[in-house]
Amino acid sequence: MSNLTEIEPFSEGFVEAMGPELILFAGMLLLIIVPNLGQGTFRIPGTQVRLPWLLGGKRFEFTSDPRLPAWLATLTLGGAFFNVLYTFSQGLDRVAIVSESGKQLLLINGFSRIFELIFFGALALAAFSSMNRLRVNGVGSKISETELFNNRRQADFYILMVTCALGMSVVALAQDLFVLFIGLELASFSTYVLVAFLKESKVGVESGMKYFIVGSVASGVGLYGLSMLYLWAGSLQFDVLATAFATTSSTDMALPLIGIGFVLVGFGFKVSAAPFHFAAPDAYAGAISPVAGVLATASKAMGMIGLVRMLLIVAAPETGDGSAIWLVCLGVLAAVTMTWGNLAALGSDNPKRMLAYSSVAHAGYMLAALTAVGAWNWDAAVSGDAGAAAVAVMTAVIFHLLVLVAFKLGAFLVLSILESEGDVSRLSSLGGLAKREPLLAVSMFIFMISLAGVPPMAGFLSKLLVIMGIVRVAVGDMGAELADGGIYALGDMHWVWWLALLMVLNSAISMFYYLRVGVVMFFDEPEEGREGPLPSGWQVRAAIFACVLTTLIIGVAGDAVLRLCEMAAQSLNYDW
Amino acid sequence: MQDWISLPLVGFPLISSLLLLVFVSNVSESMRNKLSDPIRMACLVFSLILLGITTGMFFQYFGDVSWEGIGFNQYEYSHRYTWIESLGIHWTVGLDALSFPMVWLTTFLLPVTIVATWNEKNGATYFPIVLAMGGALIGVFVALDLFMFYVFWELTLIPMFFLILMWGGADRKYASQKFFIYTFTASVVMLLGLVTLYFFQDPGNPLDYAGSMTGRSFDIPTITQHALAENSNGNWYLGANIQKVLFAMLMLGFLVKLPAVPFHTWLPDAHVQAPTGGSMLLAGVMLKMGAYGMFRLPISLFPHALEYFQLALMIIGMVSLVWGAIVCLGQTNLKKMVAYSSVSHMGVILIGIATMQPMGWAAALFMMFAHGIISPMLFAVCGAFKHHYHSMEIGAMRGMAKHSPWIATSMMFAWMASLGLPLLAGFVAEVMMLIALWYFIEANGWSVFWMVGPAIVLAVTAAYYLWSMQRTIFEGGDETQPPASLHGEPVPDLASPEKLAMLILAAFTILFGVMPWIGLDMMHDWTKQIFEGLILPILGDFNGGI
Repeated sequence: MSNLTEIEPFSEGFVEAMGPELILFAGMLLLIIVPNLGQGTFRIPGTQVRLPWLLGGKRFEFTSDPRLPAWLATLTLGGAFFNVLYTFSQGLDRVAIVSESGKQLLLINGFSRIFELIFFGALALAAFSSMNRLRVNGVGSKISETELFNNRRQADFYILMVTCALGMSVVALAQDLFVLFIGLELASFSTYVLVAFLKESKVGVESGMKYFIVGSVASGVGLYGLSMLYLWAGSLQFDVLATAFATTSSTDMALPLIGIGFVLVGFGFKVSAAPFHFAAPDAYAGAISPVAGVLATASKAMGMIGLVRMLLIVAAPETGDGSAIWLVCLGVLAAVTMTWGNLAALGSDNPKRMLAYSSVAHAGYMLAALTAVGAWNWDAAVSGDAGAAAVAVMTAVIFHLLVLVAFKLGAFLVLSILESEGDVSRLSSLGGLAKREPLLAVSMFIFMISLAGVPPMAGFLSKLLVIMGIVRVAVGDMGAELADGGIYALGDMHWVWWLALLMVLNSAISMFYYLRVGVVMFFDEPEEGREGPLPSGWQVRAAIFACVLTTLIIGVAGDAVLRLCEMAAQSLNYDW
Repeated sequence: MQDWISLPLVGFPLISSLLLLVFVSNVSESMRNKLSDPIRMACLVFSLILLGITTGMFFQYFGDVSWEGIGFNQYEYSHRYTWIESLGIHWTVGLDALSFPMVWLTTFLLPVTIVATWNEKNGATYFPIVLAMGGALIGVFVALDLFMFYVFWELTLIPMFFLILMWGGADRKYASQKFFIYTFTASVVMLLGLVTLYFFQDPGNPLDYAGSMTGRSFDIPTITQHALAENSNGNWYLGANIQKVLFAMLMLGFLVKLPAVPFHTWLPDAHVQAPTGGSMLLAGVMLKMGAYGMFRLPISLFPHALEYFQLALMIIGMVSLVWGAIVCLGQTNLKKMVAYSSVSHMGVILIGIATMQPMGWAAALFMMFAHGIISPMLFAVCGAFKHHYHSMEIGAMRGMAKHSPWIATSMMFAWMASLGLPLLAGFVAEVMMLIALWYFIEANGWSVFWMVGPAIVLAVTAAYYLWSMQRTIFEGGDETQPPASLHGEPVPDLASPEKLAMLILAAFTILFGVMPWIGLDMMHDWTKQIFEGLILPILGDFNGGI
């Protein structure tokens, strides 16, 4: 592990350290300026002299192309993505951005950077593939392929995508409750607008309103919780809070626990954990598919960061012989979330709602993993292995969020192709896809079985890792003690093992609705009016095939990605 | 020794079929129909190459391998490559007397299936999927790594799902999903068992092939070796309680696959709706994955738990045997009857396992093999029936012997082989099972009434087979009654490729009935070794026959 470098904002080394964020910022400025470039002139007052100053007026041909903002956003987000990859290949320096008084504001390490990979990757794919798809009349409109929004509305859309990325990366880097909340709100407000972007369609506005109202209530509750933590500890810094939490006796815990409970509500909404998930299916169904894909991947990863920071850093599991104070609460939440999500998905005929509920179920799996981390010290005897076990679980969570981008977003992108020819609110709109475009149907099938966790897809590896992490924590050092003559029964394992069992049973339930998509695509006939070829557009297809290849390759040979995730998990907390 | 398994036997069929499928899904529909013939030929040639390789292995063409006398937990042609190192996952392949007959059987059935379903519609996608199915099945049998085993175990579901969904009967939508979900549910429970087993290994002992992140290993030979060292009289590997739990979790996955009553309900649906080729591979090889898995994991690792659950397994086996046979009596659908007869025969395997006798295990292994040749023939006959008569109903036609002698002859032969006629392969396994059961009853002082089940079943089996033949082949005398579904058209008989497939299957049924020692010797040696190494040490007072 390299040592921590502390730098103040705008001092030496700042530009290198904050490369991806600065790229995003520059891209944002370009997105504002470039589509507005035109033949605008400025008349010097009192004269007839007109100086060309290029802003406004009649747009140039290339700046009036409605695809231009999409290209700019894709290049910006892609540039940020590859910048992060580059810093990984160069051996990551740990850098903290500190305020003048020496307080840590942002921390750049493997953990925060790998989440930026998730954000930028998902958003870049979404931006790239919605290039030809932002229609005048939005969902369900039947219009020609070339008829896009004018470039100014396009620019709005892509600026929001970039601000969303910026907000998310601030959440990933934040070391301070205030910075965390700023980033969270920047990203949240961008997504509220993105969800409601199709203002012409009723469903778009409705879902946007729902998402906004529920989201702002959740944010408000979360903010209240943050302020309670501040009231209690007198600081917004994570490390100060963590120290205070560790030194407070459990009888004086009322205030911070209520605060953390409120914060859980705020982030639980973001990860769409039951019972805070009610807005999610509506939002996914009303938003255009790439945006829904972003909600299900990047936005969820952002919420997961918040949960990890709150539960594993601030309210860290006690280092003695006790487990985390929130253990039972989170375990119940995980069990309810995964079961509720899967059962609700069984009954939904709308593919986007189905994917939303499946996203709820996946949130449950990750909460189960976090529960296992909370149990890492449940018995003093296992502490030798426990640090590694906790790292293993966190690796699983990060790996899951990372590969989820490939197959969850990919599934939404397939829907986005269908969406641009008509409504996709019924499962039957996928009918006959195998006849209409076999490769697309095969891709969708691969995404579905990857979501269900069938080998050899990446989704299997990620689900296996989560199960392995949980079982490892549950078993602890019993293997070594068995060899020394110890005798154990099933009940001697920690109860989080039952979460693993619930998880595999839930996978089995989820098979029903994932398989149904495959059956509709390969068995049923196309709906009336959908017999012809699918809407064209190489960008979205390229993005889909990139997702398929990633799903397959990581599923078969995931070792390098796994090590990257392990490194990230180790860097979350140096005590491990 | 060169690696004759990884690329030639597993990678080659999977990769070639994947390339073919990607290729045909990118051409136009008319082109796809034109390509059907060359692709069928290509798949036939590929599968014959596979058969050539495994046959060459048997005749020790690729190196001096003695199939007889391979010890327990010893593997031939074994190779190990690092796969996902951080978790201790390796691509480990190898063959022993347990897996080699199954691999050979798979490669034998592939060309036979292709020939028997020569005129299947949408051939350009059908034949590559059959080939992929073969590759996945071989992968299951050669895998010596828990992760790899599970990956191939689940991978077999995907081609079979598509075979049923796209080429199946009227109710295929329901059947394919039921098949997938049933077996998937059982295998995820098995997966949790495997992961729990993985973490119960002792990381303190330096393990071979352990993962850098976990300190444990997925390597089957390593785990088996540890289990063998720690299982002794009075000492249970992993302790009694854990061993029982893990045994039950693993067995659940395998019992559903086998399938044993009460987990068998997916099988009749899947079989009745599956196309002929799908049924042939499903009954021929895929069911055997269950029995194979039992021997490879729970039995090899948890012999104490096997003894503990012996009575339960015996009861499940008996119930499967009797229930499957009795249900057959009531069937009017020919394919459903054959499907339930498979349940009954899988009961024989389970009884053989539950006897915990080397001969019973050898009987189980030989049953896996013999049923793997006979049941494809049964389903090929059913397929021909359906294909030519457009009906599956037993009562739909009379006097087949007169109007379609080839179908009638093949049917009669296959039915006789399945009910255990001497000198045919099935007889050997059934007789061995009966002897082993008798040994077992005598040695352990169980009631003689345990013999009643098999005795009834022998009679019932003969009854339903003979009865169904009587109603289709013979009844009607000179006045044949062609099936109504033909609408008065002339009654067809087998096409030439079908005849060829029937002849091949019949020939091998006779070959392994007359000379069972070709396969049986290695199986019996292996079961004797595993018995002496594994079971004898844990049974303090064994007095049965070997």
